[in-house]
Amino acid sequence: MLSFLSYIPLYFRLVGAGIRAQMQYRFAFIMRIVGMITAYAGTAVTMWVMLYEFKQLGQWNFYELLFLFAIAVVSWGFCIILFFHFRSLDTYIVNGTFDRFLVRPINPFFHFMAMKFDIGAAGQFIFSIFVFIWVSSVLDIHWQLANSIFLVFAIIGGVLIQGGLLVMISAIAFWTTKSERFYWVVMYPARNLTNYPLGIYPKVVQWFTAFVVPFGFVNYFPATVILKKDIPFFPDYIGYFTPLVGLVFFLIAYRLWMFGLNHYKSAGS
Amino acid sequence: MEYIRMYSTFTKKAFLRSAAYRFDVWSRLISNVIFLLMWGSIWMALYSGREEAEGVSLVVMLTYVAVSQFLNAVNGAGTPLWEIQEKVRTGDIAFELMKPFDVPLRYLFADFGSVSFYILTALIPLYTILFIFFDLELPTSWLVWLFFILSAFLGFLIRYCIELTFGLFTFWLIETGGIEDIFYFSVSLLSGSVIPLWFFPGWLQTIASYLPFQGIYFIPNAIFIEEIAGQEMFMSISIQLFWLIVCYLILRFLWNKATKKVIVQGG
Repeated sequence: MLSFLSYIPLYFRLVGAGIRAQMQYRFAFIMRIVGMITAYAGTAVTMWVMLYEFKQLGQWNFYELLFLFAIAVVSWGFCIILFFHFRSLDTYIVNGTFDRFLVRPINPFFHFMAMKFDIGAAGQFIFSIFVFIWVSSVLDIHWQLANSIFLVFAIIGGVLIQGGLLVMISAIAFWTTKSERFYWVVMYPARNLTNYPLGIYPKVVQWFTAFVVPFGFVNYFPATVILKKDIPFFPDYIGYFTPLVGLVFFLIAYRLWMFGLNHYKSAGS
Repeated sequence: MEYIRMYSTFTKKAFLRSAAYRFDVWSRLISNVIFLLMWGSIWMALYSGREEAEGVSLVVMLTYVAVSQFLNAVNGAGTPLWEIQEKVRTGDIAFELMKPFDVPLRYLFADFGSVSFYILTALIPLYTILFIFFDLELPTSWLVWLFFILSAFLGFLIRYCIELTFGLFTFWLIETGGIEDIFYFSVSLLSGSVIPLWFFPGWLQTIASYLPFQGIYFIPNAIFIEEIAGQEMFMSISIQLFWLIVCYLILRFLWNKATKKVIVQGG
């Protein structure tokens, strides 16, 4: 096993190879980015149409809604880069190709994570940066050192929470040889839920997204801090816990994955 | 007759195949429930205290959401588009084209099988419970039921034609990401699947009324909640029929062009 620090240059080596491979298919790459921007812009247009008649959704206006959405999109962008391929761990296990991650002298979790580096996430970043600039000027958000640092840490927390859930979902594959399906059943709808302020959902759902699968910390709680909005049922400062929640949730996910790995029996040949 | 018997074999096979993948049914149902919860909550929050908006009460609006999610589940229960596209990419589509049946019809009839399995085993129980325990409104006359079922079926066919047409671009482009996303966005917004057309700004409503997408969700939904009633029902059904014919002809035209151009990758 290598020391922690020597993993960093290794990560960039592995990732660099991945990026070069993806750039071979330039047309596909551009189409994916265009597609993602279109999909997110589509959701934004839907929000706009929705609020055309009603003006407000649970005390949130269109621009605030857009800001909330953009935080979710940016942290999801990092998740796609780092962890999205975890959902298809089942395919690797069933095909027997997972074994190659076990025979090398590095941490298998790290190796599996560094295997893929999806630069298609550029679409998420273009969209969310555009929204941040636009919404900040409309809503008069003054970016100072304090709230900028908070936003960065909130995004890191959000990446760890969503990445943690992806890791947990993939760990299911060690026992059941299924994971991709669980992504589409659990995580995809959950991510859709968090595109809107959680305050509009029944109390049970709000509790669930705060304390069980902490998706509320991905965008809702941090956004209420930055936009200085009141939230029902929870203290106003709850958003500040985002980085901590992310760290703890991810560590649990990592432990679970390593625990599952001990249970893993190769599909064999 | 011979024809119908042949294609209905695909329906029967697909029905039986669905029965073998029970996990699939459960997982679809769970995500359907989550989306019901999401759109139900959103509309309750949008109304927040208002008696009605554009002459539509909250109860009627929530019924619209429920019917829309039901149709959404129905439309999503067939062979997913990517599965057909994957066959184009790998070249397996060539084997299907060689066989003595019409591929679009074959997939349509297979979809009838998997969709009816899903409706019978999952959707009818779920939505019966939903309509019993929540304050939602059912149509009062059997005529409305009849028109709703007819309209929903036409909507299903329109969606099938449009989706397959978009899928055909795989024959030329191989990577279709961007085009597909435009398709999914148009279907979800302009079809009125999540926001009824009467809440659109005027200009967008006009655009939507000249497009086929309204036939997929908006018309059947509006018939169910009796926003479209009486003579208007005939008019709306005719609009759907018109779009079905147009979409079918476009699909046929592109299908003939595309299959002449099969690129078998790595073949």
